[in-house]
Amino acid sequence: MTDVTTGGDDTARDGVPADATAAKGDKMISLEHVDKFFGGFQALTDINMNVGLQEVVVVIGPSGSGKSTLIRCVNRLEKHDSGRIVVDGVEMSDDLRSIQEIRKETGMVFQQFNLFPHMTVLENVTLGPRQVRRWNKAKADEVAMKMLERVRIPEQADKYPGQLSGGQQQRVAIARALAMQPKSMLFDEPTSALDPEMIKEVLDTMEDLAESGMTMVVVTHEMGFARAVADRVVFMADGQIVEVGTPEHFFTDPQEERTKLFLSQIL
Amino acid sequence: MSGGPTDVATLEPTSAPEPSPPPARRVTPREWVRENLFSTWYNSLLTVVFGALIVWVIFGVARFVFVTAQWEIVRVNLTNFMVGRLSRDLLPRVWGGVGVLALTIGLLTGLSPVSGGWRERVGNLRRAGPLVFLVVVFLSLAGTATPWFLTLGTVAVAVAGYGCARFLPAVIARRAGMVGVVGVIASYLVVSGGAGPSYAAFGGLLLTLFLALGGIVLSFPFGLLLGLGRRSTFPAVRVVCVGYIELIRGVPLITLLFMSGFALGFFLPPGMSRPELVTRALVALVLFTAAYVAEIVRGGLQGVPAGQTEAAQAIGLSPLRTTYLIVLPQALRNVIPALVGQFISLFKDTSLVTFLGLLELLGVAQVILEQPDFRGAGLQTETLMFASLIYWSWCYSMSRASQRLETRLGVGER
Ligand SMILES: Nc1ncnc2c1ncn2[C@@H]1O[C@H](COP(=O)(O)OP(=O)(O)O)[C@@H](O)[C@H]1O
Ligand SMILES: [Mg+2]
Repeated sequence: MTDVTTGGDDTARDGVPADATAAKGDKMISLEHVDKFFGGFQALTDINMNVGLQEVVVVIGPSGSGKSTLIRCVNRLEKHDSGRIVVDGVEMSDDLRSIQEIRKETGMVFQQFNLFPHMTVLENVTLGPRQVRRWNKAKADEVAMKMLERVRIPEQADKYPGQLSGGQQQRVAIARALAMQPKSMLFDEPTSALDPEMIKEVLDTMEDLAESGMTMVVVTHEMGFARAVADRVVFMADGQIVEVGTPEHFFTDPQEERTKLFLSQIL
Repeated sequence: MSGGPTDVATLEPTSAPEPSPPPARRVTPREWVRENLFSTWYNSLLTVVFGALIVWVIFGVARFVFVTAQWEIVRVNLTNFMVGRLSRDLLPRVWGGVGVLALTIGLLTGLSPVSGGWRERVGNLRRAGPLVFLVVVFLSLAGTATPWFLTLGTVAVAVAGYGCARFLPAVIARRAGMVGVVGVIASYLVVSGGAGPSYAAFGGLLLTLFLALGGIVLSFPFGLLLGLGRRSTFPAVRVVCVGYIELIRGVPLITLLFMSGFALGFFLPPGMSRPELVTRALVALVLFTAAYVAEIVRGGLQGVPAGQTEAAQAIGLSPLRTTYLIVLPQALRNVIPALVGQFISLFKDTSLVTFLGLLELLGVAQVILEQPDFRGAGLQTETLMFASLIYWSWCYSMSRASQRLETRLGVGER
């Protein structure tokens, strides 16, 4: 199995939160020997992975290989059974405070958008900042509108999610996560539920985000996106990390048989 | 049509109108009857049979209402139907309470966010049609002019409330729900006179409304907690909630009512006097209804996708906020019809307190048969019919209000 660490940054200051002085490549998310079971079924086996500050990691792999489980462990939507998960210097434990601390700083975008249907777009985006960050309405609205402009749909602010197209909904979901001003973002197949003509608008938004320096972990099968944006690609199968490398490596020189087989199926 | 200059021009009109609705064919009543009622021989047969049945029933009821029935018993007991044995000195308070309610309704109507202006607002009021009908029946039975004046005054107060709504400060106007709650509580305080006569003296429709409204207001939060508790992550909480719900649902309401005196007695500290009969009845109604509300709420909770909770958690919302900001609003919206159905049941089930000797609406309808003037006159049909009319007009109004709530909350639903 390949050990997955960012180039030479293992010596970086452990446990020091990223701040203005942090340099690109400092450790943002790290998983050490993480195992996860669903009942008797082992969904993740000895996962070791580091994501550096401002790094974009794309996770690929066949359906059921544990990609969702992996990133859901990072913000405790799933509880890992053993190993260590450290996000921006905070170790994930059963302590609710550590969980809240990590969730506050980690945005997540789901395959099914999961917007709140009973709230307007603006209310969706301001909910976190107002309830969790405790900003007043004026500030939350201002930041929310900025984020909606960033995903290029400020004019939809007063609509309800049900009145938007899938692509627009997913961009609202991205804005909702960004409004919390997180330090990193997790994407779980953000374009898989979209009609083909809407995939591009979402990928473009994500690309902008990556260029702005956001730390991102993206589960996706969009190899074009991976090639354009990813610093590293992680290939998973059967709950294990099988191969890691640059996008170039995967396109030109995959090593493992399973990787080759998978790539031949999706490319 | 003269042929167009090109093929395209002539083709277009034939293809374009297709999706538009078919031209409204003028259907004469005669044609409508033939197509809908007499299209086949068996349809004709059904039409004749059921037509005859309907005519027969309407005729029978109309003859009873307008010819045979002796409404004197209802006429002289109107006040009893309204308030039972409540001291007549307190009637001004009751009217005061009605006035406060009218004011509240006027304010709420004025505050309700509708686009269509007063026309739509009045249209919404039409949903209270059954209650208006009830008032008209009452007034037509009342022998004196006083109720007319008081009713007119009440309507005037409602209109005034409607007119004043726009002058409310924005802080209040934004919280229409609070206005409603405060209005109902104020109305109750006016009727009961603060420390004055407690609800134990209520009777007739006043008692029915007190039990129904009190039952709804108390059983809803209780049932909500039970429903949430049934899905709690703490096994102890879950066991208690499931146990309670299944226990209550396995027992007839009437046994609960009979037991309420004893059971309550067990839990009270010794030496404390047993609560009023009305209190005990209310407690039984609340305990009973809450179990059903809990099950309805649970159904609603199950209908909210897990992704909603996950999205809220991912933002960092605490479990409590996730529940009341994200999950509950969606869960409750989905179960409004079932909830209102349960509350309509509760409204009618208040009649069972008659068996505890309380004189609510049905109790009044029973005891007035024993008045010297009417004893043995066989006027059950009259009193029961009148009581039924009152139950029906309230329950039907609730059902219509629920429909309105559904459409209003459905805004923006996918
Ligand atoms: N809540 C769960 N309960 C039981 N098994 C689960 C659960 N979630 C995921 N799994 C199983 O774990 C494995 C990995 O799932 P997942 O992480 O969703 O895969 P991927 O996202 O790569 O398609 C699958 O075999 C799946 O059936
Ligand atoms: Mg998945």
